[in-house]
Amino acid sequence: MSEVQQARRPKILLLATTACAYPGADYVGQIHSEYSTDTYIIRVPALAVFPPEFYLRCFQKGIDGIIAMSCGHECPYPGAYERFAERIGRAQELMKRQGLDARRLRTTAICTVCGRAFLKEVQDMVQRVAQSGGQLVGK
Amino acid sequence: MSKVNPPNEKPANGNQQPKVGVYVCRCGGNISDVVSVEKVAEAAGQMPDVVVARQNTFMCSHPGQQMIVDDIAKLGLNRVVVAACSPRLHELTFRKTLVRAGLNAYLFEHANIREQVSWVSKSDPEGATAKATRLVGAAVAKVRLSRPLDPIKVDATRQVLIIGGGVSGLRCARDLSQSGFRVVLVEQSAALGGRLTELGRLYPVQVEAREVLHSLISEVSRDAAIQVLTSAEVTAVSGSIGNFSVAVRCAQQETTIHVGAIVLATGFDTYEPLPGEYGYAEFPEVITLPQFVRLLEKQGPSDGQLQRNGRPVKNVCLVHCVGSRQIEGIHQPGPDGRLHEYCSRFCCTAALQAANEIRARFPAVNVFDVYRDIRTYGRGHESYYEQASKQGVIFFRFLAEQLPQIRRADADGSALVVQVKDTLTWGEDLEIPADLVVLVTGAVPRDLSRLIDMLKLSRSPDGFLQEVHPKLRPVETAVSGVFLAGGCQAPMDVGESCTAASAAAARVSAALLKGYVELEPFAAVADPALCTGTGACIEVCQHQRAISLVDVMADGVTLRRAQVNPALCGGCGMCVPACPHGAIQVDGWRLEQFEAMVDAIAADY
Ligand SMILES: Cc1cc2nc3c(=O)[nH]c(=O)nc-3n(C[C@H](O)[C@H](O)[C@H](O)COP(=O)(O)OP(=O)(O)OC[C@H]3O[C@@H](n4cnc5c(N)ncnc54)[C@H](O)[C@@H]3O)c2cc1C
Repeated sequence: MSEVQQARRPKILLLATTACAYPGADYVGQIHSEYSTDTYIIRVPALAVFPPEFYLRCFQKGIDGIIAMSCGHECPYPGAYERFAERIGRAQELMKRQGLDARRLRTTAICTVCGRAFLKEVQDMVQRVAQSGGQLVGK
Repeated sequence: MSKVNPPNEKPANGNQQPKVGVYVCRCGGNISDVVSVEKVAEAAGQMPDVVVARQNTFMCSHPGQQMIVDDIAKLGLNRVVVAACSPRLHELTFRKTLVRAGLNAYLFEHANIREQVSWVSKSDPEGATAKATRLVGAAVAKVRLSRPLDPIKVDATRQVLIIGGGVSGLRCARDLSQSGFRVVLVEQSAALGGRLTELGRLYPVQVEAREVLHSLISEVSRDAAIQVLTSAEVTAVSGSIGNFSVAVRCAQQETTIHVGAIVLATGFDTYEPLPGEYGYAEFPEVITLPQFVRLLEKQGPSDGQLQRNGRPVKNVCLVHCVGSRQIEGIHQPGPDGRLHEYCSRFCCTAALQAANEIRARFPAVNVFDVYRDIRTYGRGHESYYEQASKQGVIFFRFLAEQLPQIRRADADGSALVVQVKDTLTWGEDLEIPADLVVLVTGAVPRDLSRLIDMLKLSRSPDGFLQEVHPKLRPVETAVSGVFLAGGCQAPMDVGESCTAASAAAARVSAALLKGYVELEPFAAVADPALCTGTGACIEVCQHQRAISLVDVMADGVTLRRAQVNPALCGGCGMCVPACPHGAIQVDGWRLEQFEAMVDAIAADY
């Protein structure tokens, strides 16, 4: 794989909820739409499990962008979406304080058949990461 | 009702040094045509704690699974990763493989390298291979930190909700009642019966739709175990398999019912041609097959005549595949922006049956049948085609690239002319006179967006409701406890719908008959060694009584510690960040496992 690594490729993390966004991503596969291979999907029951520090840790470890794909108000766990929104808000505050570009952390709701929205969010993040030439880390 | 897992219990094979086996699936080319599975397996072999990494054509096949079982026995594996299709298809399959080999089911991780890699990365095989490798790395990182878990048992309600009172819903209701379940059947319209209320004779045995319905509906209405709610709709759903709470609005009243499972039997809609498509909505002589079926019903044979707009009909022309088998660039997508690429299946035989009926009841009427292909695929269907040929129905065949055209006739005689480039006569341009053109329209998915949102269902690319697996789990949805019956899943005829409905009833029985269901063990656990009894977790928790503070004895002192009742915990993990000591985690999805996955993705291989 060494030749792939020569130019460092960006890494975009997609945190996708089991009930909505993860099947949404599967749906994009079922209709064979293409998107960047610099994306990595992690399945999560509910995004409220992550403390704000989790996102900061991801960036420290070398992740370039994160899209937290929730169920939005369709969240099957009562109250979890609201908690998640709070925690993301705190994470973005912390990012700004540390000089990180808060646009590297996006939140969006993706339903089980939201193929178009999924592709657009991914495309936007790929562009955002590319435009900053991997220099999204404010120093 | 359920047992509370002691948080520190670590049964066999959980606390030993991890020995991971990694299995990369080619999926018969679905994966390996894009991803180099050899390279992925090779890289996986170098990952920490990985003892063996192999690839196979179909990991879900018997030889594929047996490979895992053999390796567990021979190499003493205590963790397994399979990189294949979506876990929504086969995670359960491989968990069972582990159990067969004597391992705990939850020492398994599934990496999705088909739906989320090979199918979305066709033009970038190198990038796809690198991505698949990292996803396998993440799965290995997670499974190394996995612990054995036991399913959570909860009592199951022996009552089932069926949504939709067509033939599928009715059949399913009776089957379930005969298996000893109570049923609530919710139908949105004022009467039971669905599409069949609009049909006459049904192929293949020429039975009257009315009779089929009559016998089923009277069985259902005599059945004390089945409660029928008409003009009713489902407005909210919560809970999970074994214990769903469903709000139903009926006669301006909202009631909540408790059910163990939900069956969708909502059927399909019929295709409404676009204005101008084959002259539809332009010429009153152009109608659809469902409209024609009603026309045949109304006009008894005593008239001896078929009429349209008060004028006798001498020539009927049927045009097949309207709104089905559509092709991009040739057909216009409908208002929903969708092309209907699938075959609607029942329409060929239904159209031929109508053709035969015209010939039998109105022998003076000519029938012209203009088709792309005749698909009389089912048992007893082909005889309709044979009979039509014998009865003098005249066939024409067109290519999708040369669709028939319909225009007003210039001279007297029939009102319309259908122009066909007929491949049966090697491409001759023929003109067919028609007083009535019947567009053989197929099935389209119903607008079920509210139910889909409420139940978190998936739709297939066709727009119908999607099963977990078309062959192996054909009537189950990816939402555990929610099943499909009949036309909501795909175009089906009555026989197929009833087969599906009986299958759904059998699957519901299999799920609920024991009186309890086993839920995934993904509940929160508080570690008494870290917990100081702040109660912060209880403050954020939205699940009634899921967490409580209990007295525990340690070194002769009584301490207040958080304890989770796993049967009541939803497993959302909201409590995790709330704890100042990191003492509460969701089993199977611990924060350290997510962190390890991120590290593996960030790492280079
Ligand atoms: C023109 C035509 C001719 C046909 N001829 C034949 C034939 O000769 N032989 C044959 O075998 N098959 C034939 N079929 C196919 C047959 O109609 C279907 O197989 C059958 O209707 C499928 O039954 P179902 O119960 O799945 O769906 P449906 O009959 O569509 O019933 C679905 C029911 O669900 C209800 N519903 C929908 N959404 C909701 C909701 N959200 N909440 C509550 N209730 C809801 C609907 O009101 C309806 O009552 C024909 C179909 C057509 C269109």
